[in-house]
Amino acid sequence: MLNYAARRLLGTIPVIFLTSVIVFGLMRMLPGDPVQLLVGQSQAEVSAATIATIRHEYRLDEPIYVQYLAWAGHALSGDFGRSLQNREPVWQVLRPRILPTMQIGLTAWILAIVVSVPLGAITARRPGSAADWIGTGAALTGAAMPYFLVGGLLIYFVALRWGLLPPSGYVPPTQGILASARSTILPALTLSLGLGAVIARQSRASFGEVLQFQYIRSARAKGLSETKVMTHHAFKNAMLPVVTILGVQLATMFSGAVVTETIFAIPGIGRLLVDSILGRDYTVVQAVVLFITVLVVLANLLVDLLYGLLDPRIRRA
Amino acid sequence: MPVRRGFPRARLAESTARLLGNKLALVGLVISAVVVGLILLAPILAPYRPDAIDYRALLQAPSAAHPLGADDLGRDVLTRTLYGGRLSLAVSLTSVLLAVAVGVPLGLLAGYVGGATDEILMRLVDSLMALPSLVLALTITAVLGPGLVNAMFAIAVVGLPAITRLVRGQVLTIKHNDYVLAARSVGVRPAVLVMRHIMPNVLGPVLVQAALGIGFAIITESSVSFLGLGAQPPTATWGSMVQVGFQYLETAPWIALAPAAMIFVAVLGFNLLGEGLRGSLDPTSRSAT
Repeated sequence: MLNYAARRLLGTIPVIFLTSVIVFGLMRMLPGDPVQLLVGQSQAEVSAATIATIRHEYRLDEPIYVQYLAWAGHALSGDFGRSLQNREPVWQVLRPRILPTMQIGLTAWILAIVVSVPLGAITARRPGSAADWIGTGAALTGAAMPYFLVGGLLIYFVALRWGLLPPSGYVPPTQGILASARSTILPALTLSLGLGAVIARQSRASFGEVLQFQYIRSARAKGLSETKVMTHHAFKNAMLPVVTILGVQLATMFSGAVVTETIFAIPGIGRLLVDSILGRDYTVVQAVVLFITVLVVLANLLVDLLYGLLDPRIRRA
Repeated sequence: MPVRRGFPRARLAESTARLLGNKLALVGLVISAVVVGLILLAPILAPYRPDAIDYRALLQAPSAAHPLGADDLGRDVLTRTLYGGRLSLAVSLTSVLLAVAVGVPLGLLAGYVGGATDEILMRLVDSLMALPSLVLALTITAVLGPGLVNAMFAIAVVGLPAITRLVRGQVLTIKHNDYVLAARSVGVRPAVLVMRHIMPNVLGPVLVQAALGIGFAIITESSVSFLGLGAQPPTATWGSMVQVGFQYLETAPWIALAPAAMIFVAVLGFNLLGEGLRGSLDPTSRSAT
């Protein structure tokens, strides 16, 4: 298991490296002079010597690969430079945004798993039945609904018409667990629909395949209850492909968070990304994209390790 | 996926029969056809011009004069939804075609040549796939500048890795088939081998991925426009209409609801069609029906 984990960990390094190069390169392709962004409208009043000093301070007068190495070296120690908008260290801008995104994302993820895996199992037990059609229809509908449609409907009905929950804003847990939960329910539900649709379809396909195996027939022939057959015999094997896509779901979650946080005015990482792009704060954009990517890569690594734990054949391969 | 040479007429008929026999695929085909038909017939069906402003109908609820209501400038929502769909669909289709046009050759190259070329290309593909799709699309659009054409390129780049990986995977299997080895042994040049013997067998899965990719592209374009980086005013796509409509969600929900509903219907149709194509081109795949 240790060898398998080491191999997977080493495999993530080139991916993170290449992604950091892509992110850095994309930001350097932004139109306009970065010094212009730094000095703002007052560039006309700034002397050439000052501009040269700023350029030197931010290493913008050095070759691109030197700039990349300097940036990557600092990034490894958590120093992503300073925000072009407010001159604060980028990490100070990013850090308070992590909790809202993680809180809503994890809630959505757990909701999606808790609802979709059993839904897939139930629909797989009776293919072609009314339950199968309803379950498949729900999954296809969930996959086709954009986040702003789901979020808009929830805001309009649940928040504005019925007044059950707040339509926007975020309350951190330190200011009240109940208030925090109330502020995250609607965004979490919005995110969970898209995540759950994919999990439900994969779960249905996996359980459908596993339930055809001989050992399942043997278990039923022995007189075991259907619940025991599903939970003790089918579940672990059926979950293997589902576990694989859970890592991919984290990437989907961040994509969804970008739209969801904008709709519900949540001060999370997704909204920070949009605001930074619109505000041309490219140092923050760079850091946010790299941060998200590293999280996704590490999550996929965890999923691979979990997969190895669940299926011994994988770690021996 | 069963691998056969080329697309003889009998195989096409067989695949078509399977497609039409798949209920969900039929539903998808009908929905997609209706959506495309409505959009193409916009000049006939739309009661107004898309940019026609009527200050007497500001934020008007659905009525006989405006079946889906009017927006903040008194523009007819039905008209703008139909015309906006033309741009949304055009951008989505073009981005998918671009992704296929670039991804298929890259996948063929990586799969056939192998070695260092394959490693480098696949590491690049892995890196692009590590970035969440909307995050990557937004970042590329930020670099290129807001606008529909730039959003189209960004969506094409986001869809490219999946096509490349798919084609590469197919080529890795196909290139060891007997007929390919036989062709190589009689001296068929690599380019001819790839184009005549390998590529036709790759097109089926690519078609499935492209159909599914259209739904993904519609959602991505509408999300990018919703966030203000896609279509710029006064250009209207479904996503930009939803963005404007969100400001009036409490007082005039129809402004956002109509284009959002069209996005949902269009994506559902293309997704069902894609799933149906997957089932018809690969009879061993399982589906709900």
